[in-house]
Amino acid sequence: MLAGLVTFYSCEKFLGVDLPVNNINAADVYASDAMAASVATGWYQTMSNQNSAFFNSTGLLATMYTNMGLAADELVYTGTSILSSYYKNNLSATDPAYWSDIYPVIYKINVAIEGLEQSTTLSPAVKQQLLGEAKFMRAFNYSYLVGLYGDVPLVLGTDYRINSRLLRSPVSVVYHQIINDLKEAQNLLSDQYLQGDALTPYTSGAQRVRPTKWAATALLARVYLYTHDYSDADIQASLVINHTGLYRLTALSNVFLKNSREAIWQLQPVGVGINANTGEGRFFILPPTGPDDIHPVYLRRELLNNFEAGDQRKLKWISYVTVNDTTRYYYPAKYKIGAVNTAVKEYPTILRLAELYLVRAEARAQLNNLQGAVADVNIIRGRAGLPGINTLTQSEVLQAVLQERRVELFTEWGHRWFDLVRTGSADVVLGSLKGEYWHTTDQLFPIPGEELAKSPQIQQNAGY
Amino acid sequence: MTINMDRAPINNVLRKVVRQAHIGLFISTETEEKLSERISLNVTNKSIEQVLKQVLEANGWYYFMDGDVLHVPGNKLPVSIKGSSDSTAVEIVTGKVTDLVGIPVPFATVMIKGTKDGVLTDTNGIFTLRTGKKSGLIVSSIGFETKELTVFGKKPMLVQLTPWVNRLNETVVTGYGIITRRMNTGNVATIKAKDIEKQPVSNLALALQGKVPGLSIQQSTGLSGSNTLVRSQGDNSLKNGNDPLYIIDGVPYPSQLLNTFTSILGGLSRNAPDVATQQPGAGSPLSFINLHDVESIDVLKDADATSIYGSRGSNAVILITTKRGKPGPIKTDVMMQYGIGMVASKVKVLNTPQYVEMRQQAFKNAGWSVPQAVTAENADLTVYSQYRNTDWQKVLLGNRAQYANVNATVYGGTDYVQFLLSLGRREETTVFPGNLADQRTSAHFNMHGISVNKCFQVNFSGIYMMDNNQLISTDLTELAIKLVPNAPEPYGKNHELNWALLPNGNASWKNPLAYLQQPYNNKTANLVASASVSYCLLPGLCLRTNGGYNNLGIKEMLLLPQNSYAPQDREGHPGEAKIANGDISTWIIEPQVEYVDSLGEGTLDVFVGSTLQGNTATRTTIITRGYAAGIPLPNIGAALQSKVSSNSADYKYNALFMRLSYNWHNKYIFNLSARRDGSSRFGPANRFHNFGSVAGAWVFSESSWLKQWPLAMSFGKLKSSYGTTGNDAIGDYQFMNFYQPVSSPLPYQGGIGLEPTSLTNSYLQWEQTRKLSAGLELGFFQDRLLLDVNYYQNRSANQLLNYPIPVATGFPNIMKNIDATVLNAGWELSISFESRTNQDIQWSSRLNLTIPVNKLLAYPGLELSENYNDYVIGQSTNVRRLYRFAGVDTATGLYRVYDQSGNRIAAEFTGRPEDKTSYINLNPVLYGGVSQTFKYKGFELNVLFYFVKQKGGNYALGFLPGTFYGGIGNQPAYILNHWEKRGENKPVQQVNSDVNSLSATTYVNAMASTAAFSDASYVRLKQLLFAWTLPEYWQQKLHMQARLFFEGQNLFTITGYQGLDPETRNTTSLPPLRMFTVGIGLTL
Repeated sequence: MLAGLVTFYSCEKFLGVDLPVNNINAADVYASDAMAASVATGWYQTMSNQNSAFFNSTGLLATMYTNMGLAADELVYTGTSILSSYYKNNLSATDPAYWSDIYPVIYKINVAIEGLEQSTTLSPAVKQQLLGEAKFMRAFNYSYLVGLYGDVPLVLGTDYRINSRLLRSPVSVVYHQIINDLKEAQNLLSDQYLQGDALTPYTSGAQRVRPTKWAATALLARVYLYTHDYSDADIQASLVINHTGLYRLTALSNVFLKNSREAIWQLQPVGVGINANTGEGRFFILPPTGPDDIHPVYLRRELLNNFEAGDQRKLKWISYVTVNDTTRYYYPAKYKIGAVNTAVKEYPTILRLAELYLVRAEARAQLNNLQGAVADVNIIRGRAGLPGINTLTQSEVLQAVLQERRVELFTEWGHRWFDLVRTGSADVVLGSLKGEYWHTTDQLFPIPGEELAKSPQIQQNAGY
Repeated sequence: MTINMDRAPINNVLRKVVRQAHIGLFISTETEEKLSERISLNVTNKSIEQVLKQVLEANGWYYFMDGDVLHVPGNKLPVSIKGSSDSTAVEIVTGKVTDLVGIPVPFATVMIKGTKDGVLTDTNGIFTLRTGKKSGLIVSSIGFETKELTVFGKKPMLVQLTPWVNRLNETVVTGYGIITRRMNTGNVATIKAKDIEKQPVSNLALALQGKVPGLSIQQSTGLSGSNTLVRSQGDNSLKNGNDPLYIIDGVPYPSQLLNTFTSILGGLSRNAPDVATQQPGAGSPLSFINLHDVESIDVLKDADATSIYGSRGSNAVILITTKRGKPGPIKTDVMMQYGIGMVASKVKVLNTPQYVEMRQQAFKNAGWSVPQAVTAENADLTVYSQYRNTDWQKVLLGNRAQYANVNATVYGGTDYVQFLLSLGRREETTVFPGNLADQRTSAHFNMHGISVNKCFQVNFSGIYMMDNNQLISTDLTELAIKLVPNAPEPYGKNHELNWALLPNGNASWKNPLAYLQQPYNNKTANLVASASVSYCLLPGLCLRTNGGYNNLGIKEMLLLPQNSYAPQDREGHPGEAKIANGDISTWIIEPQVEYVDSLGEGTLDVFVGSTLQGNTATRTTIITRGYAAGIPLPNIGAALQSKVSSNSADYKYNALFMRLSYNWHNKYIFNLSARRDGSSRFGPANRFHNFGSVAGAWVFSESSWLKQWPLAMSFGKLKSSYGTTGNDAIGDYQFMNFYQPVSSPLPYQGGIGLEPTSLTNSYLQWEQTRKLSAGLELGFFQDRLLLDVNYYQNRSANQLLNYPIPVATGFPNIMKNIDATVLNAGWELSISFESRTNQDIQWSSRLNLTIPVNKLLAYPGLELSENYNDYVIGQSTNVRRLYRFAGVDTATGLYRVYDQSGNRIAAEFTGRPEDKTSYINLNPVLYGGVSQTFKYKGFELNVLFYFVKQKGGNYALGFLPGTFYGGIGNQPAYILNHWEKRGENKPVQQVNSDVNSLSATTYVNAMASTAAFSDASYVRLKQLLFAWTLPEYWQQKLHMQARLFFEGQNLFTITGYQGLDPETRNTTSLPPLRMFTVGIGLTL
């Protein structure tokens, strides 16, 4: 009895329990280098897994290659699934949304930032690298969120009671945070590609599958461009372009290969089936029978017509099938391997050098350094087997850069959509193309209705 | 001694005498009740002997002193012990009075019939008296049935008395104590061994069906070892556990198994398990206890009975007490029972001519011509014989299940040490084809000892069972009903599976016997060991400690060989073997102290105790895939791929509890209990909490105004209780901040990522139920007729649910206690009657009836929550939201349903959730049982009817009539009444083979409408027992008792239910079997 009573009063201790073998206590995660590195690995693993997910389950950031291509003027879809809402730009507040995919990722990153900052037992090098990866990833996710939705709640902590009451922050405030995060990430991240322990650089055959200082720099260049800070965009892009020891433009057919010299950040495929390659390969490459439920999209004729004669990209990066000897369906063939159970040769590429030439070109054009701009454009054109252009007026150079972006970056990470929106040409281009379906308010996506119901302080975007 | 009392009951006078004289009093409650005549006593300076003479002897009561203790056995003194005046034939008769096991009965009264003469037996039970040669003797003693017999010659007589307990004095096991039914303040129902052990059921809970008011029990399948849904006074929790807390000899026992590979043993939904797997497995832990080892089951329902279990007690507590040895010479009970079981009912389905005609009509309605070319959609018309007719229910479910059960128990002991040892073996096969059987071997041991001064007591008990349940991966019931009647022979010429291949090489049907090649084996070992030690330091002050351990180890194996799949599926199923090792173990230690003393004119009982409990559960699975041809499964080392995973959960529980009872003259009883709980399942911010209850009872029949009431009423009690209990069956670790591996087919950079599992809420706590209960108990005709009415009202709040929050927080929900309130209220009635047991014809009758109401009173945030489609405020928590059915359109022959404004929804649309305006409650609204027992001399007949009034999903609309897929396409005969031509008004829509036609959409709407649900009430003859006991003459001659019996289970059912079985209410699981058994019970 007495023993029982004594035990009772020490029962806080008694009630401590062993943890389930398949779970790890949060406090332990940030106590060991290996586990802390695994948290960051989890973000890339999840993105990579989603890259190969069947994209009818939309709302996954890593499958923007189809949805945003449909929303813009790159792809055609004829079915009745949710993809049709992207294709016709008539998304509604009840559709699955990127919003609901990106915020949970941001939460995981915020948790990690708190855990890493509080940890006293990690080795400094690992802690620094992981904090850099976290800041980079937070900026990366917000850059898409703000691009898709405009003003968004800026969640930087983990307390759900605070986060559930946040208002939408203006676009400028969000970008300010993104830039801050990226600057910090530049300082924190390693300038070499690291192995899974977030510590050891590769000695050879570096896999470019963890963010580095250069990934942060590349994204920063893009964000400066988007926020009209052209001189900084020029500076940051140059940092990467000049780092020729790591980055070089490669032959067109090598751009999307594993460990490509052009890649700044890739994902290692972890998808369905043994030795699966990329989601882009699996879903874009049409079977001989043409589009079907699993390969439901093909390229718009408008995009094909945008290629100049002799553009090697049209030959190397686009392919087609002929169905019933009559109809040709063209598809993006940047990634060539669609089948599973073949050796992994291609990695989904998120950031690559060619974009930075075009970022710098645009920035220089805006800064009226037209010669510099044209030089950069011509480097990209040259690789595609096209003749260089001559120096033109500022607006003509800007137009040339946009045209070059269109044919260089098509069906990659929604570049075309964001270009149309940020340059104010969406109404002109998509309005004429999509006719009655297009409304100028379609440039921002609807916030999911259930989210509005759960957070009454948040207003829906106009037009929904 | 000096005492002055005026017109006081003798028992009060006696207490005063005893207290003044400082002597002990040994008296039973019953005797004390008898000593109620009022006397006046005025004595001054008299000795104790003189006073006792005046108080007891003068009023005709027998007593004696044993040292310092006064014994009042309750016998009236014979007026004369002279014996018979019949001088013609006088005999000196001697005899011995014993109980059934041969222990002498001292101070029994032996009276000569028709006179006031008689004697008392001595301390050895011996009596001697003079009587007439053939006069009758009446032998009586407190606690025994009165026995009449005739003197026959000079031979010494052996009189065996049968114990008789006034049913109000039967013991009721309560939380940490025992009390008589008479004095109980709580709502507790008790079932004794004799009502349990002869039923050929595979699960302890099934032995309670129809016997306990307020307890609803539903069997999920007819397979041995299947799950049962046990609910006391309704569902309290919306999303978490609603199972009662089971305690076997003081050891908590799991209510759910760990996750299993198959659901063939019936996983019942909405049972949150109490381990971290979060998914209950199929089967039931209550299968692993031998019914023969159980002495009694007590079901504790109200706050008074359950609040001492604190955060574990809100869904009722079921206490299972195993058998103990009895003092006396060693005896052996042997019971052997054999029988057969069969499926009792069939769904009437179409025969081949009806089926073929329906299909042809369905092709016509689809606008298709009757096919010539063979495809997967028409094999029934193009490949299969149009004349072959198979009753698949007969082929697949028509076997006789064999049942055998043998138990042997040896018990005995002295007054100081008793033991019991029992062994059992039970086998039950299935009604499926093949050699499947559930085999159980069990052992039970109990030892009980007490010191000479009765201060020290020790008890040890252990039960063990090994179960080997050989099953298959899938229940064949659904195929038995849905396979088309002209489907081919399952086996080819060489006894190989016949897949009836189509031209493209695919199988045209799902060969049901392929499942026989997918064996599923579940081996369980269950150990429950418990011990208790008690020591009384002083009279009234006792210390006690209970401790115990339970281990339930489960080994599962499921083999899925490649050849058991249809040819076209073999690529995706390259042979699989799944193996799991699971283990649930629990330990508990409960030190307690109890103090009893008189306080004022009543008795005060104070009880304080503490609980320390730990549970662990682990499960490791090995799933292997890909076996080269010819390698027999489960050679797991030979598999191409294998995946090992494991899961575990740990739970700790700690509490301090107390109970205070005050009993004033057995007339007013007051109970107070309180418990402080700590559980590892609750968040750090809310780890400890208090629970408590108050209860009172007024035995108004003790009042003098009633005692003189000229009614046959012999007992009357009003009782009421109010208190709080909790539900901690919310799953382990819910509040904790965990990381789990990120799942993807391949690792990333050679490693696996980690991610947080959920938003964590350290404020999580149990769900709380406030229970109010009031009852009236009445006894008539010396308590032979007992009536018990209870009203209960339980409100469960603080429900633990996923609460919707903005996804910007990281997750769309957070687990939170929210103010959703569930009300369970109802009436429980039980009536029982027992005729006098000393007559040739005896009758006993029992009825119990429960009328429950279950209602969701509040649910803040329901509209936004993931549960929006599951619940409706003001409706039952087991509600279905349905469209109102608008019948079959006479013009188009399609089902139609109404939208919310009462317009018919267009045939091409499925309705919206808000159009589902009709609510159907699937909970029972009335249930109960009626049991009748008749005995004539050695014959006994017992029947038990179980009845339920409820609604359920029916099978009246069939399964997309007109379509065919993989051999499936047969329909219930109801659909023969389908629409055929314009203008017809029929209950079933047109049959159609086109799954893309409008009729498929309208079928989906109709299935979600009121048409798919109907009355599923039933009355079932649950049990029929006919027994014959060897006459006493032969028993004495052969030195053994013997009893032959026939027992039937589920013999018939009266129901209007349109489906297979109203208890399971589905067509996918085997219904409860009809069993016929014969048996013999011997006591040597």
